[in-house]
Amino acid sequence: MTYRLRQLWRSMPLRLAILLVALFATVSLLGLAASYAVTQSSFEQSIRASLRQDLAGFRAAPNARAVAILVEAESREADPNRLILSYIAPNGRIYGNGAIAQDDEGFHIFSLERGRAEFTGNYLSLTDALYGGVITIARSRAEIVALRAVFVNILWISLLPTVLIALSGGLILARRSKRHVEVVGSALDQMTSGDLATRVEIGPRWSDDLVQIGGKVNQMAGAQEAQMRALRGVSSDIAHDLKTPLQRVALCLEDLNAQIDKDSEEAVLISKMQQEVEGMGEVFRSLLQLAQVEAGSPRARFETVDLAKICRTVVEVFEPSAAASGHILTFTMETDTAVIKGDQALIGQMLSNLVENALRHTSEGSDVTVSLAKADGKILLRVADTGPGIPAVEHDKVLERHYRLDRSRATAGHGLGLSLVAAIVALHDGTLTLEDNAPGLEVTLRFDA
Amino acid sequence: MKLLVVEDDATTGSYIARGLREEGHVVDLIENGKDGLIAATSGKYDVLVLDRMLPQVDGLTVLKTLRGSGNRTPALMLTALSDVEDRIEGLQSGADDYLAKPFAFGELSARIHALARRPQALDAETILRAADLEMNLITRQVTRGGVSIDLLPREFALLEHLLRRKGRVQTRTMLLENVWDISFDPGTNVVETHVSRLRAKVDKPFERELIETVRGAGYRIAE
Repeated sequence: MTYRLRQLWRSMPLRLAILLVALFATVSLLGLAASYAVTQSSFEQSIRASLRQDLAGFRAAPNARAVAILVEAESREADPNRLILSYIAPNGRIYGNGAIAQDDEGFHIFSLERGRAEFTGNYLSLTDALYGGVITIARSRAEIVALRAVFVNILWISLLPTVLIALSGGLILARRSKRHVEVVGSALDQMTSGDLATRVEIGPRWSDDLVQIGGKVNQMAGAQEAQMRALRGVSSDIAHDLKTPLQRVALCLEDLNAQIDKDSEEAVLISKMQQEVEGMGEVFRSLLQLAQVEAGSPRARFETVDLAKICRTVVEVFEPSAAASGHILTFTMETDTAVIKGDQALIGQMLSNLVENALRHTSEGSDVTVSLAKADGKILLRVADTGPGIPAVEHDKVLERHYRLDRSRATAGHGLGLSLVAAIVALHDGTLTLEDNAPGLEVTLRFDA
Repeated sequence: MKLLVVEDDATTGSYIARGLREEGHVVDLIENGKDGLIAATSGKYDVLVLDRMLPQVDGLTVLKTLRGSGNRTPALMLTALSDVEDRIEGLQSGADDYLAKPFAFGELSARIHALARRPQALDAETILRAADLEMNLITRQVTRGGVSIDLLPREFALLEHLLRRKGRVQTRTMLLENVWDISFDPGTNVVETHVSRLRAKVDKPFERELIETVRGAGYRIAE
């Protein structure tokens, strides 16, 4: 869930939506704040003006006594929630409807709280000295307080829905664009796995940039598919053109063989030729297989493959040949399961090439061990022998096509075995490493579990 | 058997036809797909041998059309391609078996015999016999002339396979596919060594050899 949220958060449309919302909110907040400040100060100004007027009225009285009478008279009529009058006469007596005295002359803002005063509210007061006493007139700021509430309400009513709508719009857009991008992504995945016939299915509501990308991807896939088809055509033409004459030779040789004496010198020659023809057929087959594996086409038919089963079968198949040449061929399973996605036949071919190589290039009495293990989330398939090994400097070269070590020239083989192994490993996204088995060679293949 | 061979390469075609005739079959040889399809539609053949790449109508199309019309004559596809994908495609279009060029005549002949719908030992049978050899599939006991023979599981499977197809040649690739269930080529002489191990137990201690080697083709237990 958190992963999906994080994924969504990283999507472009959502980020844009959030950015726009933030911008919009800031601008509206600033606007509201400014108009609130303007309105509030104009209210304040008018209260101040009234207060000055009130004060001017009291100043018009001739003496302190008159002021006191005037204050008493006015405060009887005044609503203390709106207007509070207070005059501290020179003799210390307090007149008015509230004893509010400020130390300093001038304007003050104060609040009355329940419990400490008879009435509550927020007031603006004006204090001045008058005929030896102190007069304080306070008018309620209730309107200004109410104004703030109005502005806060405006804020909630206008801004919140906007933010919510913009955010959910952004989310919907983000999810839709994520879906569209996923369509492109899965098409690309399928192409990578060898299915070049896949195309991005561009929807009618896709955005222009995605439509363009999808179109380009399809264009690329089309070009690649055409190339692959051409390549396949060429390789099957070559196969056909080369194998047909080879087939004729093979059948002629068989025919010839049937006509002559089994123990004659000619028969030996024919049998040699037949072996050569068979070898040529094998080279063609390997080359074609290599070309197809390197082009990645078998990926489309990958299935679940049990490596342990293949190892057991291959070791069992080779065991009598190994025993006949004085080798000890064993299989050890160092993990519970070893299952990968792949091509059963190619993996079998790969392993039998490795085992055959090990048997061929090691002397009598050598051990050849096939083992399966797990390490760092990878499945390790090893074929190790105790033969002469390969010098470290030549490790890279032996994987090259047709490369054969000088000392192995004398033995059979066409140098394609290991390059086919390397190509099959690469097809399965695996890695191949050659190591010194001290003594001998250890070939390690690593696959994703 | 009556066989139809559709092969565009005249040399290969005539050799195949001649070889099969020498084995006592009646063979019709046709060099293009269109005529091949017309001939095959007659339905009078026991086995069809079809080249995959043919002029006019290719082998795959011939077979698909044939199968589409309800013709079920067993078909063996010959091909210059040997990729697994081509093999799958061939089998999907209705081929019963697939043989990659270059092949030995013995391999072709053995596969044609395997395809022909001749009755083979029924699955229900519990005791298989050849001369004085007896294989009990329930107790998994093998005896020859009353002498018990110990076989490893795979040796048992190999012997059972040959016994069930008594009289028919089984090539090394057929044995690899059917006894070991592997479709790749392990190369060298792996099948030979397995057979010679089996022989060491089943044939060597006794007078008569049961498992014959058919030169250039494979192995057979005589009927």
